[in-house]
Order: sequence, then structure tokens, then C-alpha cells
Amino acid sequence: MINLDLPVVQFTREQEEFRQEVREFLAEEKKKGTFETKCDSWLSGDSPEFSKKLGEKGWIGMTWPKKYGGGERNALDRYILTEELLAAGAPVSAHWFADRQSGPLLLKFGTEEQKEYFLPRIARGDTYFAIGLSEPNSGSDLASLSIRAERTDGGWILNGSKIWSSGAHIAHYMIVLCRTSKLDPNNRHAGLSQFIADLKAPGVTIRPIKFLTGEHHFNEVFFDNVFIPDNRVIGEIGNGWKQGMTELAYERSGPERILSTFPLLEELIRILRENGDYRGMQEAVELLPQLWSMRNMSIGVAKYLDDGVDVNIIAALVKDMGTIFEKNIAEKARLIISRHPSVLSTDIYERFMAQSILHGPGFTLRGGTTEILRGIVAKGVVAG
Amino acid sequence: MSEMLEIILDTTGRMFKDYSTQELLESAEQGEWAEELWQVLAESGILHVGIAEELDGAGGDHIDAYNILRLAGKYAVPLPIAETLIAQWLLAEQGVKPSTVPLSISFENEQEFMIDDLGDRFIVNGKAVYVPWARHAKQLLTLGKLNNESVMVLLPLDKAIIEQGANLASEPRDTVIFENFEITALSCFPVNKNEMVNRVYEMGALARSAKMAGAMEQILELTVFYTNERKQFGRPLHRFQAIQHHLSALTGETVASLAALNFAIHENSTKEIALTKMKLSGAAGKIAEISHQVHGAIGVTHEHTLHHYTRRLWSWRDEFGNERYWGSKLADHLMKNNGETLWEFISAGREANLVYGGEK
Repeated sequence: MINLDLPVVQFTREQEEFRQEVREFLAEEKKKGTFETKCDSWLSGDSPEFSKKLGEKGWIGMTWPKKYGGGERNALDRYILTEELLAAGAPVSAHWFADRQSGPLLLKFGTEEQKEYFLPRIARGDTYFAIGLSEPNSGSDLASLSIRAERTDGGWILNGSKIWSSGAHIAHYMIVLCRTSKLDPNNRHAGLSQFIADLKAPGVTIRPIKFLTGEHHFNEVFFDNVFIPDNRVIGEIGNGWKQGMTELAYERSGPERILSTFPLLEELIRILRENGDYRGMQEAVELLPQLWSMRNMSIGVAKYLDDGVDVNIIAALVKDMGTIFEKNIAEKARLIISRHPSVLSTDIYERFMAQSILHGPGFTLRGGTTEILRGIVAKGVVAG
Repeated sequence: MSEMLEIILDTTGRMFKDYSTQELLESAEQGEWAEELWQVLAESGILHVGIAEELDGAGGDHIDAYNILRLAGKYAVPLPIAETLIAQWLLAEQGVKPSTVPLSISFENEQEFMIDDLGDRFIVNGKAVYVPWARHAKQLLTLGKLNNESVMVLLPLDKAIIEQGANLASEPRDTVIFENFEITALSCFPVNKNEMVNRVYEMGALARSAKMAGAMEQILELTVFYTNERKQFGRPLHRFQAIQHHLSALTGETVASLAALNFAIHENSTKEIALTKMKLSGAAGKIAEISHQVHGAIGVTHEHTLHHYTRRLWSWRDEFGNERYWGSKLADHLMKNNGETLWEFISAGREANLVYGGEK
């Protein structure tokens, strides 16, 4: 049987003080009008200005070595920072992916030159990365991807496309998982490699794909004979699948899989208290055990990741259950306080509700669909 | 987890597994008392965990004790370990040394025993319902009224009228009646009634949560085993995607329940206990439902072991407060306009605690 217990993390006094520091910073910035709280802000709230501010505070890449512009803080400090940013609905999407997974991937597999070049730029909050996994014809079946690179003098020539690349239109680079040798039907995970593609390079075209709300978050990115120099290969040629999978544990277990719609819940509780609506409050609190236990799980995974423990199965669980919880908030809220949700409303409850409902379908798709995640968990638990 | 705790749990787990057999569970259900196992527990010191050695306890702390209860849940041990431990802890606070006889507890706001002090003897009158294991327990730790004051009292059960009842898992939940019961010596301790009821509910909720968590682990193991073993349409059940989704949900609810429980055991405060009992009581129903669905018809037979655990989940989720009971505690707290946001409440560290109903 797999280990079902996660570590119990109790934050230290210093960590609680750090939490206060982040909170005060956010309250101050909000007061100054730097940002407005929004649901799903880690995907749909980009503000290069705000990212730069976080960079100045040392709050991007804060766990990385100092020589690469990091702060050498531990994973739990970073956890506190990210959950505070999400609870406040701050606009963090510009640098989010680079901080969460591209940077850690480079730290783990990148060359010295790559680390020295990219990490300080990410940490300053002025270089962003997009994720390059999904393709038009391979969604959940990632290994069926068809984008390929051919060997050439001093590098590789990349041809193909990537899709659902959130923020690619503002990102500077994309980490592209592509095929570098012919598909072996008996070992589809072999022959894949990861490259850092410069999104401003000749041959790159970025086409916006409008989200169902009309907003522009994701894109289709075309690579037409794009030259990738040898020094932009990540790790080993042929090891791309394994490397790509390590990204996913970071991608799936963080607080953004629980807190995307938290601003709505916060506002719901505030209104119920203000109205003295005890009955409504009794219904609303039914959401809290799920929130709290998911948070404990997610923090436990952060600790495990820091200790180098394999967390693929638990990370899949956090994502599966956390995103269903995120959707539940809106479903419950709409019955407790009945209003007409609208993104145009001047009332923040109605606006948060609209954001939560309209973004909802994406929660259980992005970063691995619910169906894929459940397969991973089931196979893991059966294999013991 | 400390190394010491790991050793204790390893030994205890093996002991529970060896003794708490299908046969023992059946005979317990028929009303037999598992005396042999009780004696083993008494000798092992498990009944005195969480009581200081100066008081003749076995040392160890509440973390040890709740983890032992989780194991008791995993093997459906048919004995009042939780009730005896809680009673001993409350008595130890009053300086009473622990014994090894089975004890029960009953602390409800709406029920207390009337005690008349006649100088040379006491007369006890009253009734308590749904008392766990009363027919086998030697004494009942409960609330009484003596000279118009609330007291915690340890009542001998040998002369009490016991009306037998049971929960869904056929665990004894009896009615205890005293009618002009005369006794020469009684241990009474003045207490604040509300405070006492709240405390015992917290202890009981955490104990039931620990036992539910154990039962959930067992159910997950049984279900995974079954989906490996059982073949339909030429392949094992776990190869079907519909079954995989069930397995994933079962694993998820169990892991999330444990993430709640482990935290509450460490923090041991009202907020965490309330959230944990709500989480586990909610998960209990889902886990019972899914595991039965996956097991098919064999799982609903008496012959299969699954029902020993699912029936316990269905019972324990309502004991010592269900989701609504504990949710009201959270709602009371959140209704207070003390300038605290929900996020501050959720993310508060160990120094924070729940304020509710003006009692605490």
C-alpha cells in the first residue's frame, strides 16, 4: 500500500512573521491601487509591473541559490508567499510558470550557463516562461506529440506547434517538449527532448485563442524551422519525458489548485457576517473542512518535494480534489446568496461569481484532466 | 513520527491484527466480551497511555494515544479503548490513579444524574442514553448534580439498570438507569458543566475521527485487494476506468482525511478538531458507498469483512457531533465580527483558536 500519510507541517514563528510581511505588502499595494482582487488571478491576471515588484522583494525564485538571483529560502516560505498571493487574488500570472516550474526544471537539469543566464532574469521578474507540453492533436495523450526537431550544425531545427500555452503572448521563452528521434511505438516515451525556445526568434508565430469569456490567456504557438542552438538543450537529448514529468509534480500540487476561487468564498463569508445570516453561514462552513484538509495535503507535498520524496500520486490527488473544490465554491455560493453573476458588475461578489463560474471548466482540465489524474492515482495505489 | 511511536504502533498493530479476527468480531456482535484481548491490552500499558508515570500511567502523550485508536479502528477492535482512555485522562486530572477495568463515558448537556447526599450514603437517580459499552463497563464517568452543583461523578455500573441498545455496527450503545440507587462512597468532582461537555466532545470527536481514519485505511486495502483479485470480462476490475475512478476517489478521501486527522492530533485544539470531525464524517459516507459499489454483491454479505468497517463509519460519523454540530461551532466563530478574515482564520497557526458561544 502506498504511504497515505503526509508530513504535518507547523510553521515557525519566523514563517508566521514572513506571512504577516507578505500580507502587509499586499494590503499596501491594493490600497495604492496596484491591483484589484480577482479569482483565478494566477492564470488570468498578468501585470509585468507587479511581477517586477515581487522580483525586487526577492519573492520570485526565492528558494533558488543566491548565485542565481534566488533567496535560498525553503519551500515552505515559498508556499506561504504563494498562498497569500492567491488568497489576495493578486496578478501573478506573468511570472507564475517560470517561478513554479521552468526555473526549478533548469535548476535540476540545466547547464551552468543556462542557470546563470536565465534564473537571475526570472528572479528579477522581467523574464517569463510559457509551458510547452500540449499540442493540437495530443491533449491528454501527451506522448503522442508530433512536434519534432532535426539535428543541424550547432543545434536543432524545430517544426510543429504547441497549444493552450497560457501567457505565451507575454512570455519570452517556452520550454518545448519535442521529438528528437523517430517514434518507437513500443516505447513512446523515448526519443523526446526539452529545448528552451526563444519566442521572439524568427519562425515563431503566436496566435491568440480567445477563452470562452473573450479574454486572451492562451495561445497556439507555431514553430516554422526555428533554430535552437545546442546551448538551449535542457538536460539530455532523449530524456525529455522524464524531465517533463518532474515539472508536473510542481504543477499539480500547489495552492493554486485549491485557491483559484478563494476570493469568492472570502466575500461570501464577509457578506453573511455583515448580514447576520447565521443560516447561510452554517451552509457556507460546510466548504471549510475540504479547504483545510486540501491545504494540509498541499503543504505536506511541498515539504516532501523539498525533501526530494516522489509525490506524483499525491500531487495528482491534490489537483483532482482541489480543482473540484474550487468549482464547488461557486456552486454553493450561488444558492446561499442568490445574485446575478456578471463580469461587468460593480459588485465584487457578482464579479467573483462570474469569474469563478466562467473559468471553472478549465480548472479540471489544465495541468492534467481529472480523468488522467484518477488513472494515475488508481494505477499507483494498485501497484502499491 | 518519532521512532518510539513507530515501535509502539508496530507492536500494537500486530497485536490488534492477531486478536481482532473475524471470529472475535462476530462473537462481539453476539454480545460476548473480548476478555482475553482486554487483558492483553491491560498488560501492554495501552490503557494507560497519555497518563504521566508519576500517576502510575504508561507515559506517552495524546499523539501516541490517538494513533493507537487509529489502529483500533483499522482492525475494528471491539472494545471501549477510547472511552476508557478518555475517562482515565479526565480522572487523572483529578489526581485519580488509573485502573485497568473497562470504563464508559457520557457527557451530554441535557442529561445529568441527581445525587442526594444523606450523610452516610448517597442516593442516585437518573438516566443516560446511548452509553457506549455500558453493559460491559465497570464504571461510568458522567455528569451529576450534587447540592445544586454540577459534578463529574464516577458511578459503578454493576447495580444499574441497563437497557441494551446498539449502533449500526452492533457496538453496545446502552441506556443506563439509576432508580434510588444507594451507595456509601462516591467520587465527585466539581466541574463547569458546559465546559466539560465541550471538552469531552472534543476528545470523543478526535477519538472517533482517529478510528474512522483507521477504518478508511482498512477499507481502501480491502478494495484494492478485491479489484486485483476479481476478474470480469477477462480482466481484473482495476483495469476498468470506471473502477479506477472509484479507487482514486477512495484514495483521495482517505489521504485528505488523514491529512486532517494528523494535523488535529498534533494541534489538539477546537478549530482543528471541528474541521477534522466534519471532514471525516463527510468522507465516511462517501467511502462506505464507493467501497460497497466496487465490492458488488459479495460486499453486502455478512460473510465478507467489509461491513465491519463500513457499518462503523456509518455509526461513528454521527457520534460526538456530526458535520452540522461542528459546523455550528465554526459558524458561531465566524459570525463574530472581530475583524478577522476567513483567510486569517484558515491559515492561523497554532496559537490561534476558536472562540464560540462565549464559553471558551
